[in-house]
Amino acid sequence: MKKLLSVLLVLIMVFSMAACGSSGEDAAESDVIKVGWIGALTGDQAPWGTCESQALQMYIDQQNEAGGVLGKKLELVKYDTKGDANESVNAVKRLIANDKVCAILGPNASAAAIAIKGALNEGKVPDIATVATNPDITVNNDGSVNAFNFRVCFTDPYQGAVAGGYAADELGAKTAAVLYDVASDYSQGFTQFFVETFEAKGGKVVAQEGFKSGDTDFRPQLTKIKEADPDVILMPYFYKEVALSANQARDLGIDAILMGGDGWPSDTLFEMAGDAINGSYVVNHFDYNDPAASEVTAAYTEEYGSAPEINAYMVHDAFQVLIAAIEKAGSADSEAIAAALTQVEVAGVTGTIKLGEDTHDPVGKEAAIQQIVPSDSAADGYEYKFIMRYTPEN
Amino acid sequence: MSVFIQQFINGLSIGSIYALMAVGYSLVYSILNFSNFAHGGVIMLGAYFGLYAVTLIGGMPFLGALIIAALLAGLVAVVLEKIAYRPLRKRNAPGLYFIISAMGASIFLENLVIVTIGPTFRTYPQMISREPFTFGSISISRIDVLMFVIAAISLVLLVFIIEKTKVGLAIRACSYSAKGSNLMGVNVNRIIFVIFLLGGMLAGVAGMLFGMKYTVYPQIGVITNKSFVAAVFGGLGSLPGAVIGSILLGLIETFGAGYIASNYRDLIAFSLLIVVLVIKPSGIMGKITEDKA
Repeated sequence: MKKLLSVLLVLIMVFSMAACGSSGEDAAESDVIKVGWIGALTGDQAPWGTCESQALQMYIDQQNEAGGVLGKKLELVKYDTKGDANESVNAVKRLIANDKVCAILGPNASAAAIAIKGALNEGKVPDIATVATNPDITVNNDGSVNAFNFRVCFTDPYQGAVAGGYAADELGAKTAAVLYDVASDYSQGFTQFFVETFEAKGGKVVAQEGFKSGDTDFRPQLTKIKEADPDVILMPYFYKEVALSANQARDLGIDAILMGGDGWPSDTLFEMAGDAINGSYVVNHFDYNDPAASEVTAAYTEEYGSAPEINAYMVHDAFQVLIAAIEKAGSADSEAIAAALTQVEVAGVTGTIKLGEDTHDPVGKEAAIQQIVPSDSAADGYEYKFIMRYTPEN
Repeated sequence: MSVFIQQFINGLSIGSIYALMAVGYSLVYSILNFSNFAHGGVIMLGAYFGLYAVTLIGGMPFLGALIIAALLAGLVAVVLEKIAYRPLRKRNAPGLYFIISAMGASIFLENLVIVTIGPTFRTYPQMISREPFTFGSISISRIDVLMFVIAAISLVLLVFIIEKTKVGLAIRACSYSAKGSNLMGVNVNRIIFVIFLLGGMLAGVAGMLFGMKYTVYPQIGVITNKSFVAAVFGGLGSLPGAVIGSILLGLIETFGAGYIASNYRDLIAFSLLIVVLVIKPSGIMGKITEDKA
């Protein structure tokens, strides 16, 4: 009896494995092409995730109205990751096993994008991350590239290098301090490359202080930074902590220039800390005033009644790259799509996107430097002013 | 030296928030002998009540909003007690069940706010000038001074109620022995009602002040974990203990971050707590050592 049972179990296992193996072909043969999306719809990062998923839904509807892809309609399947890495892995597994998507877009957080590597490799389904900027997402420590991870944004090191180079070259800063989130890969990668570039250009980093995401009081660290008296302070983390720490820095009488990255832009930042971040510089993926972006801005605003976050533009380009790859591959087979992703070049709203074969990152994208300035027309009193396009090499 | 004084002020300011939150834990613990983890949820709601009082009612003065936040939060705490704890008390359920019920209530409140109000951060309109008081290179923000004063007034009021009034006498009697007090004609249910009302009102005050100082979001309750630890540190069940423990935790955190390494801020603070509890398990001022759940 026991023997029979074990044979039965083995058979069940074999069949379930076989079922898994054929999932790719099922997806290719059906008459809808399913595209997955994961990201935070609740929690700290919800403003971005919500915008991203809404924007993607809008692009998919537009694509379907224009006839879909390869004569098939597209269907979006989205799951909330709550910004949590484990939830992201579960969502990816569900997208691959149950929903049989041909490719996944998102997530916007680096930690989640790194966590889903294994699940993607297992299911052999490509993922295009939107604003996940950690280098480890596409390229491993040993230099090998992850077969199924792609992205349309530049990486943390690049942001850090841009910020460090810009502070030294254009702002003429001699000293800098960094306040960073010790619990965040994003913040640490950003910091590391800021320090390297800034010091390579002759600057001196006079203080590096850490905190843990979820903290609300940064005055102990800021008091130390004040003592070091830097020209600029880098704040490479997300808007909530940026708002709190910037306010507290000004309360303590710190008047250094503040700098940040793509974690800053958000609807609520100006409302929370407008006066404190007046005059600060932000390294961003693109500029909102770019004419190429205005079409997306207008369409999104009309559809959802509010101005889009940066994710709407990034997911636009990720989606365009995916469509181009599906057409190039000539099928919705996920492995063929993965192979085609590095073979296409797309003129997106955030720049021309060509994914490198050995990095899976966009090659040769410039960063936009923006300054936060008072504005009479904006509802919350401030706006991003485009300063220049900058690459640290020039 | 000025850095030291600035850090000391930072520590006092962080500690006084913990103190306002920690007293609520101690209050409930002193009577019911369990840790009311739903307290964090009530604090979070207090922050939202205050926010809406200020934004929805035009011309609402600060004190008016604070009183509204306190009363509504007190009401929530009383209702929670009725729904989540009273049935358990009737059945003489062990302490563990109360804690689980409290955790459930806390998660419920957080998620209720996420689905009804939304997960995004909100900010109070500016009611108190952001311009800090400065003495040389030392600065103290106005809201810190205000918080310190309000925390002190609330705590003195609380001590007055407990030490000088008839209800307070009954509360103290119940904290020695609820059963004994019941035999002596004290209506224990009413005392528990008062305890939750007082604890809830303090939570409302703490929540609104926290929200004004930092920001309002559904996960505020997480911060209260630290104030709970501070209450244990000071001696659960002892009100002066909760205050002293909180201030000490604030100072230890600040000086750990300021003079040792900011990365280890929590590590240093919590290692010290463990050491203190190993040496004196009842906390600094506590008298009850068993069943510190």
